[in-house]
Amino acid sequence: MDRWLHPAIFFFLGSLILPFVKGEKAKKFLILLIPALSIVDVALMGEGVYGVYNFLGTTLTFGRVDKLSLVFAWVFVIMAFLGALYALHVKEDGHHIAANFYVGSSLGAIFGGDYLTVFIFWEIMAFSSVFLVWYRKERRSIEAGYRYLLVHVFGGLLFFAGMMLYYYKTGSLAFDRILPDRAGLAEYLILAGFSLNAAVLPLHAWLPDAYPEATVEGAVFMCAFTTKTAVYVLARGFPGFEVLAILGTAMTVYGVFYAVIENDMRRVLAYHIISQVGYMVAGVGIGTELSLNGACAHAFAHILYKALLFMGAGAVLYMAGTAKLSKLGGLYRYMPLTMVFYVVGAISISGFPLFSGFVSKSMIVASAHEKGRIMLMSLMNLAGIGTFLSVGLKVTYFAFFSKEEAPIKAKEPPKNMLWSMGLTSFLCFAIGVYPKMLYVLLPYGAEYHPYTLSHLSEVLQILSFTGLVFFLLVHKLTPEEKINLDLDYFYRKGGWLFLRLDEKVIAVIDAFWGELYKLLGLRLLFKKADFSYGFDRLVIDGIVDGSAEAARGLGGFVKRLQTGRVQAYIGLSLLIFVFVVWFLIYGL
Amino acid sequence: MGFDKMEIVKYIEILRNNMKTLKKVLIAYLVALVLFDVLLPRDEAHAHYFVDKVWAYWTFFSIAGCFLLIKVAKGIAHTFLSKDEDYYG
Repeated sequence: MDRWLHPAIFFFLGSLILPFVKGEKAKKFLILLIPALSIVDVALMGEGVYGVYNFLGTTLTFGRVDKLSLVFAWVFVIMAFLGALYALHVKEDGHHIAANFYVGSSLGAIFGGDYLTVFIFWEIMAFSSVFLVWYRKERRSIEAGYRYLLVHVFGGLLFFAGMMLYYYKTGSLAFDRILPDRAGLAEYLILAGFSLNAAVLPLHAWLPDAYPEATVEGAVFMCAFTTKTAVYVLARGFPGFEVLAILGTAMTVYGVFYAVIENDMRRVLAYHIISQVGYMVAGVGIGTELSLNGACAHAFAHILYKALLFMGAGAVLYMAGTAKLSKLGGLYRYMPLTMVFYVVGAISISGFPLFSGFVSKSMIVASAHEKGRIMLMSLMNLAGIGTFLSVGLKVTYFAFFSKEEAPIKAKEPPKNMLWSMGLTSFLCFAIGVYPKMLYVLLPYGAEYHPYTLSHLSEVLQILSFTGLVFFLLVHKLTPEEKINLDLDYFYRKGGWLFLRLDEKVIAVIDAFWGELYKLLGLRLLFKKADFSYGFDRLVIDGIVDGSAEAARGLGGFVKRLQTGRVQAYIGLSLLIFVFVVWFLIYGL
Repeated sequence: MGFDKMEIVKYIEILRNNMKTLKKVLIAYLVALVLFDVLLPRDEAHAHYFVDKVWAYWTFFSIAGCFLLIKVAKGIAHTFLSKDEDYYG
């Protein structure tokens, strides 16, 4: 096809139509039609460069379609469909609109051929996904959403600063591969901005902070798009950066470490995103054809099984009212289908033969082995142990078994959720049994055969003996009703420290100043009473009262925002999005 | 659909009621796994590193690794990472 239609358009336009569609059936039809059309669009897409515009003297490229962007586009649109099916029962239009803008902007970032285009969609992603947290409408979620937004604005600023320096240096905004030995401050700032979205250590704390507070359905979307868009831009721009190989491997272990000690199912899974994205980041950092293929394949497989796990945990939260392992148990008798689907996700992420993780994760491990990076390979396998231990065994055991009689007798979730989980499970299995259907999508030439005897032996030993140790030490893993500190401590307590500083130090200085003023002021007052009086009255009071008034007004404004006037936000966002959509369609 | 989801529950209960047999089967499986790795012909052309050469290397690795992971993670959590759920207010 020589004409190209940006798949994001379906999501943007569909969202604009959605509020005007009357009737529940019609709405549901539209919600599923949007991603279905985008799948057809991606299937018909030919490689090439489309949608090139000149804007203020720079070139904007909206449609760089090649094998690397296509593999991500494929899994994004498939995931959009599965996510929409899972969220079909959600009544609020705003929730669907936020999810659609989130998916659409991720697709925009994937196909963007220059930094500015990527940046625009990058920001829309952050600002639309935060609604998926806020729609939970609980105090914790609103707070977590604000933190999420602030951290992403910070990441966006790093990216923006890098982009500006890069433009100043090279005179171009083209987004292409950067060679490690040519990278300077500009490139590293961009890398830092990308890394924040990929939750690379130490810029990761936003993820386990925000995702577990998102809505049941929103978390399914969130776990798929933000980090994987970041993996895509890293694979596009920064392959072969040694720092990514090391930090990525560190992420794999860091994530499972927290997953072993966390109590909330969705927090365990959130930490596992860090761990799994770590494999992809390491794959990008190792930088061989095999490892880059591995990063793409793993992103593809990961999106599906991680969404499946979040669907399962979400179904438990939705039906049982809590996802805390310490409060759950014995659910296999009440939610058997959910359990089966969750277990499919769990053994896919653990990399069991015949399931998707096996054919994708091992490409990255094998590429580390091939390059002689035995330390990296061993740590990745250690993370593999932790993955099966926490997601596969710990969560399954304590949520669905462990207790003879279930403390909460939850029922199976609504049918659309079950269908979505069933379809996703099927895909995880299909990719594991027939990896070729994933491998043909991969961008580079390197071939890989996962089903060799020595590889099977290695993986089965790792997984089976992890199982053995789990059953010997299961009492050590009993979930505790605690939270565990992470690096978000510094900005969460930082805000608190600032308040304390305000209370103790600034207030004391203020009081001291007041005393001094009184003492000196009184003397002066006797001498130049009129002037002083006038000055105090008009100038100082004016400033103090004025700023107090302003602060109160601002406080009131912020408070109104915080009490969840989500509609007002969406109204404002819509206006901006209309502009973006117009820009996208223009000339296509 | 002609499929009763309670079938799943039934099979799980059969397994739960036969824990002793299940344990024996699983132990036999583990032994077989180690034997399989020992008897597996080594691909000398690709076995450059000790991880490829030592017999049943990944068995030792995963037992030690899993044990350490649990001990270290729980240890660090209990020493200074764990806080009450309302710690941040």
